[in-house]
Amino acid sequence: MNDRHTMEERELLDLLKEYPVPEAEAGFYDRAVVRAVHKGSRRQRNRWMLAGFGSAIAAGLAIWAITAMLMTTPQLPDAEPTIPGVTIAMEQEHTVRLVFASAEALDSATLTVSLPEGIELAGFPGQREITWETSLQEGKNLLPLTLIALTPAGGELLARLEHKDRNRTFRLRVDVS
Amino acid sequence: MTDPHQTEVFERVVRPHFDRLYRLAWRLAGSKHEAEDLFQDLLIKAFGMLDELVHIEEPGSWLCRVMYNQFVDQHRRYARQRMHLVDEGHLPGQGLADLPGNLDPVGDRERLEKFRRLDAALQQLSEEHRLVVLLHDTEGYKMEEIENMTGIPVGTVKSRLHRARARLRQILDNDGTIS
Repeated sequence: MNDRHTMEERELLDLLKEYPVPEAEAGFYDRAVVRAVHKGSRRQRNRWMLAGFGSAIAAGLAIWAITAMLMTTPQLPDAEPTIPGVTIAMEQEHTVRLVFASAEALDSATLTVSLPEGIELAGFPGQREITWETSLQEGKNLLPLTLIALTPAGGELLARLEHKDRNRTFRLRVDVS
Repeated sequence: MTDPHQTEVFERVVRPHFDRLYRLAWRLAGSKHEAEDLFQDLLIKAFGMLDELVHIEEPGSWLCRVMYNQFVDQHRRYARQRMHLVDEGHLPGQGLADLPGNLDPVGDRERLEKFRRLDAALQQLSEEHRLVVLLHDTEGYKMEEIENMTGIPVGTVKSRLHRARARLRQILDNDGTIS
């Protein structure tokens, strides 16, 4: 290994060692614990109910009513799809960027953005659904959407991409502060 | 109704590891929003498994491993969606915007610029190379700890680290960040 190589390696390692990470926001850990205890308790209850159900079957008890109830119990938290979210301020423009990854170049794809009540797309006042015809490149395609909140309600934004008989829908939770 | 004793036990077990876990979440996810989600999901899962967690000898390592697995699962699901939301941490150098700037302005600017270039260089690595270099060289995890967390054999970790450093050196040498 020559001197230059060694020096570069040392410089690189020093840089990597100092490479910073922002600290957690004040109060974030406490809030995370509160949410975990609340949601984790629900999960524990679900697990105990399921465990109880198993024991009952083993004991040969006929508990059809409980079975039916368990079948309709909401899914455990793990099974809930994660919807990404953004928080935007009232009456201020906020740009979110969606990335559409495409395995191939696509001509004449249709993109439809559906907005929750009280959220508008800059340049499209009063419209809850906007549709474009667009072409996608192979790889990543970036779509910036500038949102404006007119009411504090928030809701879910849907972006649906269609091409021939295929389609994908992206959901984004929009909260208003 | 939550048992206050359970909450107390939970906090006693997990809180000492919070800073380390938050850093790991940042290294894995690369953005504040996703790091917070990853951290939160981990705590929810950990609280749901409190009965097991209290008997684990090294809860810190266990929590890191669970977080890593959650990240991989979410990442696979995310990749399948093919449509994503990009926040600032995904754009090279932008995740550094949250850093406190309490040093002298000139030195701080130069330092930030170096980190931005490093950040951009890291984005050019494959994910598996970036992860290994961040865990080992930045966070200081030992090879065996990385193997334990990720399931990647030490030999593979070493070779990935070697290649990742070589590529970083090349990129940062070309742009004059290191000389």
